[in-house]
Amino acid sequence: MILSSPFTASGAHHYEMPLSLRSFTSLNRALLSSSSPSSLLLRGSSLVPTMAASSTTTVSSTDAAPQLNQSTPSPPPVQVAKRLEKFKTTIFTQMSSLAIKHNAINLGQGFPNFDGPDFVKDAAIEAIKAGKNQYARGYGVPDLNSAIASRFQKDTGLIVDPEKEVTVTSGCTEAIAATILGLVNPGDEVVLFAPFYDSYEAVLSMAGANIKCITLRPPDFAVPLEELKSVVSANTKAIMINTPHNPTGKMFTREELEFIAQLCKENDVLVFTDEVYDKLSFEMDHISMASLPGMFNRTVTLNSLGKTFSLTGWKIGWAVAPPHLTWGVRQAHSFLTFATSTPMQFAAATALQTSDSYYEELKRDYLAKKAILVEGLEAVGFVVYPSSGTYFVVVDHTPFGFENDVAFCEHLIEEVGVVAIPTSVFYLNPEEGKNLVRFTFCKDEATLRGAVERMKHKLRKR
Amino acid sequence: MEGKVSRASRKLEASPIQELSQLAQTCGAINLAEGFPDFPAPPHLKAAALSAITADFNQYRHVQGICHLLATQMKDRHGIAVNALSDFVICCGQSEAFAASIFAIVDPGDEVLLFDPAYETYESCILLAGGIPVYVPLSPPHWSFKKDELMKYFTSRTKALVLNSPHNPTGKVFTRDELETISEACKIMECFAITDEVYEYITYDRELHISLASLPGMQERTIITSSLSKTFSVTGWRIGWACAPANIASAIRNIHVKITDSAPAPFQEAALTALQSPPDYYCSLRTEYEARRDYVVQILSVLGFQVRFKPKGSVFIFAELPDHCELSDIEFVKKLIEKAGVAAVPGCGFFHTTPQPQDGEKYQRRYIRFAFCKSGETLSAARQKMEQCVNEDGQLSF
Repeated sequence: MILSSPFTASGAHHYEMPLSLRSFTSLNRALLSSSSPSSLLLRGSSLVPTMAASSTTTVSSTDAAPQLNQSTPSPPPVQVAKRLEKFKTTIFTQMSSLAIKHNAINLGQGFPNFDGPDFVKDAAIEAIKAGKNQYARGYGVPDLNSAIASRFQKDTGLIVDPEKEVTVTSGCTEAIAATILGLVNPGDEVVLFAPFYDSYEAVLSMAGANIKCITLRPPDFAVPLEELKSVVSANTKAIMINTPHNPTGKMFTREELEFIAQLCKENDVLVFTDEVYDKLSFEMDHISMASLPGMFNRTVTLNSLGKTFSLTGWKIGWAVAPPHLTWGVRQAHSFLTFATSTPMQFAAATALQTSDSYYEELKRDYLAKKAILVEGLEAVGFVVYPSSGTYFVVVDHTPFGFENDVAFCEHLIEEVGVVAIPTSVFYLNPEEGKNLVRFTFCKDEATLRGAVERMKHKLRKR
Repeated sequence: MEGKVSRASRKLEASPIQELSQLAQTCGAINLAEGFPDFPAPPHLKAAALSAITADFNQYRHVQGICHLLATQMKDRHGIAVNALSDFVICCGQSEAFAASIFAIVDPGDEVLLFDPAYETYESCILLAGGIPVYVPLSPPHWSFKKDELMKYFTSRTKALVLNSPHNPTGKVFTRDELETISEACKIMECFAITDEVYEYITYDRELHISLASLPGMQERTIITSSLSKTFSVTGWRIGWACAPANIASAIRNIHVKITDSAPAPFQEAALTALQSPPDYYCSLRTEYEARRDYVVQILSVLGFQVRFKPKGSVFIFAELPDHCELSDIEFVKKLIEKAGVAAVPGCGFFHTTPQPQDGEKYQRRYIRFAFCKSGETLSAARQKMEQCVNEDGQLSF
């Protein structure tokens, strides 16, 4: 028996939680096997610079440094949770060591090699000095919640309540985790578009969701509407959208969003939308699903500070959603991390209050960088797919004669000295991504030019 | 649309501690409820954080140096030899380290043992992972448990035991004897132990914190979690860690990477400075907290609380209501906030078991947790305010 919902009969809910003892009855859910995750990309190698946020390395037990204590008896049979059984890590372990060994220029990492603006860093420094170093309110420092609400209103026209509809998290990664763990039940169907940022699939697996995957294909990675329609039903719990899209740079069009919205309203489906690159929209305007008629009430909009302000290591993200969905997000969040870094929240509030000229300059800078990379990649001989947003570009590497993306990327590091990401890791079925690799242009211009030069000199079509 | 919230999250309630904090704020009460300091973080740490931000340590990173420093500390203090390259996962606070550890090892249906009373968050993580929390009661007034009783709580479904020592809310520091009992049980039943050692440097009366993993046969099955927060008074920085044998650490890392991906970069840098603090730092930490403990124990005793168990560690006192008091803990705390302008936490939120006959029926509604991680001025002001609500016997009465 599950505790009754905190919602009153009328549908409004209250936030006064009883202080009395919880009474737990035993779980009487049948054991559900988790869905099978594909390879998991890990971050955290100790020796190498971290790669893209969606591709990582790990020091697995097979290639760890020699044990310091030889007399420790071997551990008992490992009984890690079943949800981890199928996570693999080796591809990226190898590639990261290769990258270092060959002194490769890294256009794989999804974070800048330049830093954020001084005015935001100064705000963090002031906050630390002013003693803002203790736990913040769990769902966010009030100033930041307000700043997020204001920015959201400017961007979408929607007025949201910072107290009831905004939740601050440790980066958008945590917002995604909290949203999925807070709102998805084991066995729920969730629609995902491949290629996808790898945490979506991993966390959906943790939540025991039943993933229905729709592949976006080159050249324009358009949403296959009829296929989507055939997959969405009254059994669908949620659809996950990432726009602007990592890795392809695709931006969901108004027509696509309206089509999805219609399906959601007909079938009572939620939308989780990851919009961290919304300020890096170049070829068209970014559209938030929440702003479409009838959609705010069923949408969780996720975003963060890191990409917009080149401060990816600060881990400030957020979820905007109507109160009845925010409740679930906050529950999960409070037990995942409890609270978010306090001084950075104050600085984030300052950042979000900056004028539009900051965003205009950001776009100009990135457009210039994009031009260098795209022109360079085309000159070298890649088939470059148009990227409307984000700081990523995907290309077809097959003119160079390698059998798949991983082989190509290895060659690119070893013989050319440039790092790209094999996109097969972003698909449930890796075969679907084997012709594509992802480059990033969130690097200073000298780095981009250097990488292009290396490719022009050393990358040959076969 | 209410049906949209996941079943797992519906079982979870908002933290009563955070709720009361809000009430206390509304009433302008002196907050002896939440366990974070109102005095500044150490200057050498703040300076390190400022340097890190200025020097552009602001992108995703993993600061390996933290692991090496922690490994050295573990060896020096506990005789545990760990591999700095493979055994650590740096997380957003011990909160995340614990959540990631639970998700790494708990399958739906697995049982996880907890000592009761317990910090409320452990259970919620276990439930989110589909596990079943099983509580082992600690008996008042000294929060002890019997060796032969402990084994009865293990079943073939027991995956892990959670050990928080020094303990929130009681301030108990588990003794070597007790740790041996726990370790024997874990070894016989072949289960994991997950420790929460956030108060590891805050112990009193020359009592030393012993890490469960240092006992024979335990390192290979123990996940240690801890953080900078309490030791260095930076609860808002979110720098914590899990330490476990490489293959377990790898599983925890897998989960962590999908929950937050990394801990705040500049504070990881500052952690290097923190973890190289001289021995003096830890001495003064202990000395200053011990003075606060003694002060608050004395005040509470004079006010009529029964402090039959003086905390040996942590920043909390778990005091029993005065004998004559007929109010429940919640009623008492509400009065304390409204009439005396002082906030504390009613103990009932920490209890999850049915009281044992020998312990009496009502003790779970008779404890209040006071935090003394506050400045001298704050504690003094709290005393003055409470003194205004005493009866003719000098005891707190509403």
